[in-house]
Amino acid sequence: MEIDIKKLPVDIGVVYEGERIRGPDTFVELGGPKVEFKAELTQVVDEKDVVDGKITVIGKDIPQFTCGEKVPFGILLEVYGEKIEKDLEGVIERRVHDFLNYVQGFMHLNQRYDIWCRVSNEAKEKGLTFEDIGKALIWLFKEELPFIEKMQITFMTDEEKVKEHRETALGLYEKRDARIRGMKDEEVEEFYGCSLCQGFAPNHLCIISPQRISLCGSISWLDARAAAKVDPDGPNFAVPHGEVLDEKNGEYAGVNEAVKEYTTGANERIYMYSMFDYPHTSCGCFEAIAFYIPEVDGIGIVDRNFQEEAVNGLKFSSMATQSGGGEQMEGFLGMGIEWMHSPKFFSADGGWDRIVWMPSHLKNRMSDAIPKEIIDKIPSEDDTSSLNELKDFLKEKNHPITQRWKSVVTDELKEKVTEYIQEKNGEIYPDQASADLGLSEDELMNVIDVLQKDGTLG
Amino acid sequence: MGKVIAISGKGGVGKTLISTLLVRWLTENNIKNILAIDADPDSNLAESLDTEYDKSIGDIREELSCKSLPPGVERKKYLEGKIFEITVETDKFDLLVMGRPEGPGCYCAVNHMLRSIIDSTTKAYEYTIVDTEAGLEHLSRRTTENVDVMLIVTDTSRKGFKTAARIKGLLQEMNIKANKIFLVLNRIKEEDKEIIKEEAKLTGLDVAMEIFEDPLVRKYDLEGIPLIKLPRDSETYKAIENAMESAEWM
Repeated sequence: MEIDIKKLPVDIGVVYEGERIRGPDTFVELGGPKVEFKAELTQVVDEKDVVDGKITVIGKDIPQFTCGEKVPFGILLEVYGEKIEKDLEGVIERRVHDFLNYVQGFMHLNQRYDIWCRVSNEAKEKGLTFEDIGKALIWLFKEELPFIEKMQITFMTDEEKVKEHRETALGLYEKRDARIRGMKDEEVEEFYGCSLCQGFAPNHLCIISPQRISLCGSISWLDARAAAKVDPDGPNFAVPHGEVLDEKNGEYAGVNEAVKEYTTGANERIYMYSMFDYPHTSCGCFEAIAFYIPEVDGIGIVDRNFQEEAVNGLKFSSMATQSGGGEQMEGFLGMGIEWMHSPKFFSADGGWDRIVWMPSHLKNRMSDAIPKEIIDKIPSEDDTSSLNELKDFLKEKNHPITQRWKSVVTDELKEKVTEYIQEKNGEIYPDQASADLGLSEDELMNVIDVLQKDGTLG
Repeated sequence: MGKVIAISGKGGVGKTLISTLLVRWLTENNIKNILAIDADPDSNLAESLDTEYDKSIGDIREELSCKSLPPGVERKKYLEGKIFEITVETDKFDLLVMGRPEGPGCYCAVNHMLRSIIDSTTKAYEYTIVDTEAGLEHLSRRTTENVDVMLIVTDTSRKGFKTAARIKGLLQEMNIKANKIFLVLNRIKEEDKEIIKEEAKLTGLDVAMEIFEDPLVRKYDLEGIPLIKLPRDSETYKAIENAMESAEWM
């Protein structure tokens, strides 16, 4: 169908994008913080379910309102295109904001169930209707996204109808989010780099992937992609990850290249999913820091809001100073808290099975990210205040990390301890024995544990 | 495209007074799209403009830094909407309050987004008046950028002039595009007039306004009456009106 946008009562164009309709100039407010029901939704549908160019209005149209009203508002875009997949719904929906703002006298803010629009008095005077806005939208969509073959739009201002529409939309947003959460690093071609913190940490470059949010927690892969699209020369840019060099640790040829280039050679390789060997560098403004605890061979995490000493006796601030600035520091890693939701969270180091300490408020906040079977086995400041207590706690709760301790009991060690016990005719005193054997008491007890279990000792 | 006028100077020299009366002058001269930004946590531009605010950008920054948004929601757009939401809209002008300085969290990314949002926001207004704080924190963090005119206010104290000179230096150092930097002399006493002019010359800045000590302003301050309500024929308002009418930098 043909749309002549020159025949619309108001102008359409990118020049109106920044147009601000102030309160006193507003004729009607559609959605917004003072209105409970509002939502915009895009759905990809079958060809037979869409009449191209059809615009439906359910409820009052613009001219029927009285000046100063604030009303419920729903927008439903139904699109068809041979090449359009369900995954594109979010991408198409995001453009509604841009295109509606191209309409002179119409302002659009936010997205999803938060939309907030204003129609100016001037536009109302000119006779603007939803039909006009719909025509402009369809025209703009087809101009900019030629893969859209057919599109119909429904505008809703009837409260009951908007309410219903919002319910449907909420369910679909959730599905969409679940899909994004389920997106895997392996499934995309490009990660994104973020050089925003280079003012403070010149050798630091954040690598953001679908399964690894920025260290500050503010920029997801989608955010970075959106930013890079708007401003390709800005601080967020695409990093084609290239060849996978090490799947487990997350080493990618393209990432290494980008790191080298943007840190002027200071760093050459990074592992995306590990804190050992070649860890990702840390800027200084990470949300949390993960630290290796050699005494238990586990990883502790402390976030910026925890002011006391962590279980290793150090405060967030002193660990942050030590490890920030863009140097690779084995055993320390700045991280975004959202990363805990990711299956790639320390996946090379054992994932959640390796986490042995977190502040209680962080545990609460992230309880949905922590596997159920381990959540009570991770102590907080309420359970332990020293490394000794930590070890006891982990042992008592049978934290999976204790398996690691056992695995280090070598045959050689078993033999050595067995011989010693025989030498002493079975009468040993832990402090003396550990001194004689050059082991810590805990280590000795571990070995004895293992010996008892495998039947060597009765 | 909008013009941004920032008002700076040592604490207590009358930045909020000048900002308030500039807003008033603009509204009285038929300018419809005016944004006032309170970037001074130690003052209260809202009160002086006879309005109230609910939340500041600082509040939003804190809220955002402890909030996980659904992955399909773009953070910058979310932030943009929030800023719109906290903008106070009066009949004659809008007001945005920057609020308290940053807490211990990380703000590189959020500040970067704020910067570009504030930048595009000011473009949507004909005039933006920024009441800055003495330390120029927002300027040095670049949350307010691209100032067209910088008015540095000083009273007649030596310290005031010193700060003015320091601000001028800082602006040049930071390469902030202050196309025009002027001095505003406030609370001048008739008998000191000549000495003050000499002092002003030493700063190397042109004087944009000369405002004499005004017992009425002191009374308003003392009684907590919004300065925007100063009578038209008060000496202070007249001084601003005169300066603005002949100001080439407008």
